[in-house]
Amino acid sequence: MVKIFIDEKPFEVEEGITVFTAAEQAGIEIPHLCYHPAFAPEGTCRMCLVEIEGVPKLELSCATVVRDGMKVSTNNERVVEARKGVLEFLLADHPMDCPICDQAGDCKLQDYYEKYGMFESRYSENKEKREKKRKIGQTLIHDQERCVLCRRCVRFTREITKTHELGVFERGVHAEISILEDGPVNNKYSGNLAEICPVGAITDLDFRFQTRSWFLKSGDSICPLCSRGCSITIDSHKGFSHFKVPKRVYRIQSRRNENINGFWICDIGRYGYGYINENRLEQILLKNEQNEAMDWEKALKILSEKMKKVHPMDRSSGAVLILNPWLTNEELFLIKKFLIENQEFENVYLIDIPDGEGDDFLITTERSPNKRGLQELGLKAKSLSSDKLPEKIKLVLAFTPPNIDSAGSASVKAVFDKAETKILFASNKNDLSDVSDMVFPTAVIAEKSGSLINIDGVLQNFSPALEALGDSRPEWQILVEMAKEIDINHKYYDQFSSPETILQEIRKEISDFGKKSD
Amino acid sequence: MEEKLLTKLFEIKDSFTIDVYLKHDGYKAVEKAFQEMNPESILAEVKNANLRGRGGAGFPAGVKWGFVPKGVDKPKYLCVNADEGEPGTIKDRYIMTHNPHLLLEGILIASYCVGINTAYIYIRGEYENVALGLEKAIAEANAKGYLGKNILNSGFDCQIYVHRGAGAYICGEETALLESLEGKRGNPRLKPPFPALVGLFQSPTVINNIETLSNVPKIILNGAETFVQTGLPKDGGTRIFGVSGMVKKPGIYEMPVGTNLKEIIFELAGGMKDGKTLKAVIPGGMSAPILTADEIDINMDFDSLAEAKSMLGSAAIIVIDEDTSILDVLKIVTKFYSHESCGQCTPCRIGTKWINKTVQRIADGQGKIEDIDNIKRLAKNILGKTLCPLGDAAALPILSIVNKFRQEIESYIGN
Amino acid sequence: MSPEFSDKVKKQVQDILAHYPEKKAALLPVLHVAQQEFGFIGEDTERMVAALLDIKPVQVREVVTFYTMYNRKPVGKYHIQVCSNLSCSLLGGAGLLDFLLKKLNIGLGETTKDKKFTISTVECLGACEQAPCMMVNFDYYGDLDEEKIDKILDNLK
Ligand SMILES: Cc1cc2nc3c(=O)[nH]c(=O)nc-3n(C[C@H](O)[C@H](O)[C@H](O)COP(=O)(O)O)c2cc1C
Ligand code: SF4
Ligand code: SF4
Ligand code: SF4
Ligand code: FES
Ligand code: FES
Repeated sequence: MVKIFIDEKPFEVEEGITVFTAAEQAGIEIPHLCYHPAFAPEGTCRMCLVEIEGVPKLELSCATVVRDGMKVSTNNERVVEARKGVLEFLLADHPMDCPICDQAGDCKLQDYYEKYGMFESRYSENKEKREKKRKIGQTLIHDQERCVLCRRCVRFTREITKTHELGVFERGVHAEISILEDGPVNNKYSGNLAEICPVGAITDLDFRFQTRSWFLKSGDSICPLCSRGCSITIDSHKGFSHFKVPKRVYRIQSRRNENINGFWICDIGRYGYGYINENRLEQILLKNEQNEAMDWEKALKILSEKMKKVHPMDRSSGAVLILNPWLTNEELFLIKKFLIENQEFENVYLIDIPDGEGDDFLITTERSPNKRGLQELGLKAKSLSSDKLPEKIKLVLAFTPPNIDSAGSASVKAVFDKAETKILFASNKNDLSDVSDMVFPTAVIAEKSGSLINIDGVLQNFSPALEALGDSRPEWQILVEMAKEIDINHKYYDQFSSPETILQEIRKEISDFGKKSD
Repeated sequence: MEEKLLTKLFEIKDSFTIDVYLKHDGYKAVEKAFQEMNPESILAEVKNANLRGRGGAGFPAGVKWGFVPKGVDKPKYLCVNADEGEPGTIKDRYIMTHNPHLLLEGILIASYCVGINTAYIYIRGEYENVALGLEKAIAEANAKGYLGKNILNSGFDCQIYVHRGAGAYICGEETALLESLEGKRGNPRLKPPFPALVGLFQSPTVINNIETLSNVPKIILNGAETFVQTGLPKDGGTRIFGVSGMVKKPGIYEMPVGTNLKEIIFELAGGMKDGKTLKAVIPGGMSAPILTADEIDINMDFDSLAEAKSMLGSAAIIVIDEDTSILDVLKIVTKFYSHESCGQCTPCRIGTKWINKTVQRIADGQGKIEDIDNIKRLAKNILGKTLCPLGDAAALPILSIVNKFRQEIESYIGN
Repeated sequence: MSPEFSDKVKKQVQDILAHYPEKKAALLPVLHVAQQEFGFIGEDTERMVAALLDIKPVQVREVVTFYTMYNRKPVGKYHIQVCSNLSCSLLGGAGLLDFLLKKLNIGLGETTKDKKFTISTVECLGACEQAPCMMVNFDYYGDLDEEKIDKILDNLK
């Protein structure tokens, strides 16, 4: 540890870190454009200059390592003047039309201008004309006039994806970010480019001009689309009182997590949020009783009646439970305790989610978020697509994932076709929702809390990034209510007021649960 | 009096051949270095000679060599800077064309001293014919056993390669040179790490100018004491002054460090051409702040010029006459730097172009009086705030011109 | 058709590669060789050089566009580059440029119809003592005046 002074306040900081990082840890933000923690500092934007006592020139905070006793000023007059000078240069050729820029509200240049500038430009020369709207990738638009040449994007394709689509061509004032004529950005992580571009130079067609960033609320979550479990933020729109907005979730961005995904997410996770918005089940459905408004209390009573009708002796052969690897650890635990152990469901099947193409970076071949959780809980389930079904089925409880494909739903349908009573727990309409006796709308991962264990055995907790839609509820909550209704040992479930309380209980039984990360 | 340390052979016929060189003590210094000296004593000698870099910054060569760590298991490299892009600078070309073996001998001794087996001469691309000459000289030296394996039975191996640039002034900056040699854009690197530790191919590297290294054989042969007798104690030897512009006899003049500028212009270079009047002098290549006609009674050494708020740089003297508009000078200076800016850092990329556009506008008769202060303000916003010294190299001459010739510039601005 | 080096040039490239511990370092010299061969560096040449040095075409483009000596379009048989820097300008370089453009009846950066001459300007050539000066392909011509330029052009067949 070394002792340094930032703006006259003393701080103890780790040796070897930069002044920028030290300031950041102390809660002091130093303006910066080219620096990004994923890359080695390049020191090109010159926004982060600070004064260090005893050093005649202003120094780069992003590239200067702290020394014991160092005295740094991040905001004195000289530093602010220098910063303004750099800003003035950056804005000289930059269009001054934030109101029509898609990045407005999300743009570092705009932030800094408002904070340090709002000066009148003394630029009275002709602005450099550059290409404004070039499609550089499937979802990416590049605006050369807004580019500050921080090269974050170039470094991303060079160092992270190693796909080298982007480069800096020409030099001096003509230097520009570009692709080759026949080489658009084409990699599975391209959406990160719009995210790391600090200004509105690279924008995402999926998001561009759809809404304004200040209408959005951000919530943290975990991507469930493969078993990496990347940390994400979900930006959603609550809608206006007078008119509906076309979408609920507008974008997904990566959230820094050194243990899992660093700074990045893949395009599957970024753009694959349609299921949160579309085809959602919002009400409890009860077959043959269309017009009756169903509330949870009533529905659960009906359900428990239906379950009680199946004689316990029948349950080993006549009742089927269908699970999926999107269920959280807590939900799986409740299923194990209540449905398998107490209610003696012996025919437990798992919906098979087909593998996809993985890579050696983030994307895993396994395309579901919690296979590890199932394993660590010791839940044994047969494969729905390859294992035999019981002869006769009285009752089936099926939990389906949002992204169930036609093969998956066909395999569940095969069970339903044989069964007398079919109960579905699902977040999205699927081939089964119309043929079930009862459908309980469930929340998706983005709307609930709980934990998942990723491919490397890392247990991750998450909280809701969005409110549950309509009458939908998270499965853990439904299961607790059901158990209280049906289980003779219902007092046991009183303690489960949240997923955390369930996880505590899991750890009482399996002390190293979710701690086997490798 | 001209003092010919480096240029002595230039007048002799075929001075570029190894045969002529050998007849005039050629490669004697290498022999001495290998047989009578060791790396430590060579380093001590070069340090004692106070040989300061001839490329521009004037850093003592011996000290620079001493920075290279001993006993690393990576190869080390010597990069010889023959980019010669600083406007006004012509001296390195003369050495390379007239006495390439002097340079090769210097490279060899430096390499031996630092423990380097591979040297690259990074030569500006336009000097294609000079490069061919160098390659011929290298072949000659190889054939005679002065290069290659086990040179003069010393057990020391050394190879020299000529590497051509391709038209970028910035590649004369040492870290841009390294990038360029690695096959990349000539974007200067952030320092630290310094090239002595992490240089070419991530290995310890020495970068020296052609003229700097060409002094080394003399220092070894005659000793540091003799060397410092010429020039100044803290700034030893001679400089090859390149004189161009409005003088009768433009060319190179090798003189002791500290020779008076006025003497160089009016005696050696024959004074003003066509009876013109002296207006201003750029004393050390375009990056050096301008001197007015009454500031030229000055000694040409690092310290004297620094005191006059200019610099010795590459000792390239550009003589400007009264009939030349200072605005034309400013236009050329600003065009040059904006054209040569690598473009990676904000103040230099945008600031140099901005100033150039303003100067052009003034020249087009559209100037406003506040433009002058704005140019100064912009230059100051570049000064000290860029990644590499090119920013300062642009800002300082601009400031000096605007400060010293303000009235003339104002006269081009109508109301 | 994508360009290819002749066997002789391939040998030359092999020699160049031997100078460096990393293939990529040979990029500038190999581009010089390519330009010598094909007259300019087109997209196909970029791709070929990239493959030869195990780098990405985009890295070649980054380099080709950084250095002024690489032509991305064909130029005339004689590429005349007139120095526009200070020492040459002091001694009338700008006037000589105009003279040349008029004489060949083309604009700056243009090539004559017979594809013989291209004229461009260049920053200081490092031959200021011979100002004003110019370069024709790789040959320097200094102490220029109109008469001398006439003679030089007459000799360029
Ligand atoms: C923009 C710029 C251009 C330079 N050009 C050259 C050059 O053409 N030749 C040269 O020897 N040094 C040049 N230098 C200086 C080099 O960076 C470096 O200091 C020098 O080669 C070191 O050699 P020396 O110590 O022997 O002088 C330049 C520096 C800058 C900032
Ligand atoms: S496009 Fe964005 S990320 Fe890329 S250099 Fe420009 S400003 Fe930086
Ligand atoms: S790698 Fe997997 S978890 Fe991460 S964003 Fe992509 S699909 Fe989601
Ligand atoms: S100062 Fe100019 S030349 Fe140097 S790194 Fe910055 S932009 Fe490039
Ligand atoms: S953030 Fe430090 S120079 Fe850009
Ligand atoms: S100014 Fe023309 S060669 Fe130097």
